[in-house]
Amino acid sequence: MSDTEEIARTARRAAAACAGLDAAGAARRLAADGILGLLAPEETGGLALPLPAAAPVAAADAAELLAFPLVEALLLARLLAPLAPEVAAAVVAGEAVATVAWRGALRLAENGALHGTVGRAAMAREARWLVAALERGGAALVDLRAGPGVAVEEDPSGLDLERPAALVTVGGARAARLIPDGPEWSALRADAQLLRGAEMLGSAERCLEAAIGHLSGRRAFGRPLVANQGLRFALARHKLALENARHALAHALAVAGQDPRGRSIARLVARVTAAEAGLLLCEGAIQLHGGMGFTWDVPLHRHLRRVREAAAQCDPAGARAALAARLDEPAEEEREWAA
Amino acid sequence: MTAIGAAAAEDALPAAGPAAWRRAIRDWLEANLPPAWRADAIAPAEPGLEELKAWEARMYRAGLAGVAWPKAYGGHGLTLREHLIVSQEIGRMPMPESVNSIGKELAGPILLAIGTEEQKKRFIPAILEMREIWCQGFSEPEAGSDLAGLRTRATHDGKVWRINGRKIWTSGGFRAQRCLLLARTGTLEDRHRGLALFVLRMDAPGVTVQRIRQIDGEAEFAEVFLDDVPVEEADALGSPDEGWQAAVRVLEIERATNRMYRAWRLENELRHLVAACRADPNLAPLLADPAYAQRLAQFRIEIEVLKRYVEGVVEDLAAGGAIGGRGSLIKLHWSEAHQRFAALALELLGQAALPPAPEVRAAQRRFRRIYLRARAETIYAGTSQIQLGIIADRILRLPRAA
Repeated sequence: MSDTEEIARTARRAAAACAGLDAAGAARRLAADGILGLLAPEETGGLALPLPAAAPVAAADAAELLAFPLVEALLLARLLAPLAPEVAAAVVAGEAVATVAWRGALRLAENGALHGTVGRAAMAREARWLVAALERGGAALVDLRAGPGVAVEEDPSGLDLERPAALVTVGGARAARLIPDGPEWSALRADAQLLRGAEMLGSAERCLEAAIGHLSGRRAFGRPLVANQGLRFALARHKLALENARHALAHALAVAGQDPRGRSIARLVARVTAAEAGLLLCEGAIQLHGGMGFTWDVPLHRHLRRVREAAAQCDPAGARAALAARLDEPAEEEREWAA
Repeated sequence: MTAIGAAAAEDALPAAGPAAWRRAIRDWLEANLPPAWRADAIAPAEPGLEELKAWEARMYRAGLAGVAWPKAYGGHGLTLREHLIVSQEIGRMPMPESVNSIGKELAGPILLAIGTEEQKKRFIPAILEMREIWCQGFSEPEAGSDLAGLRTRATHDGKVWRINGRKIWTSGGFRAQRCLLLARTGTLEDRHRGLALFVLRMDAPGVTVQRIRQIDGEAEFAEVFLDDVPVEEADALGSPDEGWQAAVRVLEIERATNRMYRAWRLENELRHLVAACRADPNLAPLLADPAYAQRLAQFRIEIEVLKRYVEGVVEDLAAGGAIGGRGSLIKLHWSEAHQRFAALALELLGQAALPPAPEVRAAQRRFRRIYLRARAETIYAGTSQIQLGIIADRILRLPRAA
């Protein structure tokens, strides 16, 4: 049995065991299984594994609709280890919840005070730490419990029910730490997109299984729905989109280490295909469930909500535009061929 | 002999590593492929059949065909990983399609899998040396996608097999010396059982070939009439009951690995289109037009995905794994992507400035042909509908009507 499969199994079990827990409870549970330190260096209690090891964990978190900012925890523990080792260690140990504001940037005044509003910060209400980009480049680590200088409210652009997105407005609080505008910060954002891709494929796979289950069990016109060729072909197309995205994501993850700033063609391809497959399969599963798919109790909408947010973060339109500008550039692994 | 001889492929790889070997292949192709034969040539010349046969024979002697076939039958005895490197370099060079791809990519692998020792020795070297071109006799007027319904009969008269029936869509049937023939030894009700494979001589008495003109005006494929055609016992392939099963297994692999160079050739097409557009005052701005840029980027994405499938298949086969129905995903993916791209290329190139520059004319000629030929890509080797059915049945394992 490979390590990847072992990690995936552990992650599924741990994510399922987090059902009903709040973020702090989930953090302790996930830490107990060693999941939060997967990418963090050993000094902070982590396993220092490369990025691909986190992909099955992200997929499992999505499949189980985990109510915890897991991708953020995994990547922040890695980013903060050299800059704020006590915070990184607390994240790895499940003693503190940390999140990232994926939209917007804060202004850093001369006197060191932070100002502005950032958005799409998953579960910021339950988190102790926030990392937000700075307008001048780099980022700031903000203590969300610092007092009146920080306000957290609902981000009305968010859809995710388990990990509600928040707007965070900072009015004069100081950064607990400044994160330089270097490859580590670029890598956090770029690697988060790949792990969002893994989450989307985790949701997509779960939705495809649900659709197949529904169509196989339900009968209409005297036969199982799945006997209809139109529905079989739709499922086959879903499978094709899923496998396309899986192949692209696996490759992008495999070559991620050679591309610390996250500019590879492989990443652009993975972002587009994962977003496409995630949306096609989740929206498609709702359609294939008929009226049941539109109900609150059938959890397909929960997957769809997460996938929509993840897709926004992967920015497939931006990735396509970037690819269009680099159409005849060789892919990374082929550069040496042309030499 | 030219830059890399038959020995070069075998010696250079372990000696100098894959990078040097790749370089040697590229240098050889650039030095030896007549420039006018390139699909992006500004002053193109269509090679004749004999020239193409000679060219492919040279490619074989240079180590670029039969890469992973056993040395005992004239192959180069390397692995699929080396075959992938050769394919990548062949893909990057817009050279003419093989006139013996059925021999090299279908008949050869089937012969290696189920042929007798004598058959392998007799047929395989002749394929590689381009002494014998093969065609494929599977489809029939009444049995296209549903091959199990084929009606061509093989009966044994006590001395030889006698073949009666009709085959259609037989690519290269008019130039082939051999036909890999699927025929029925049992009754129609037996479906897959009682289907057997034979090696038919195309110059045998009773074989009539009628060329069929196709969508692009050329007549690459044919209808083949078989009237009491004798086939020696020694040319029956596998036993009547296992021939079809073995063929299906090989076909699964073939669907996933045939024209392994495809992704890299498609990339060559994309680059050619982009270069032609850059050379034209009307087209250059369209490359940055978001409507076109998105569609061009989409094809780049689809090419990259195809590369990942091919590399995955090679790695899995090298590790002794199975292919299953994966070839259907791959075939469905590239055939539809290529059709969209070919339409996009026509759309773009049709807006070129007048009179078109020579490099634009070259691209227009190339993509007109690609567009028309691409219509067949979602039909041959199992239509898109057949591929969707295979994905539903064999990959997703969806239940049938209860």
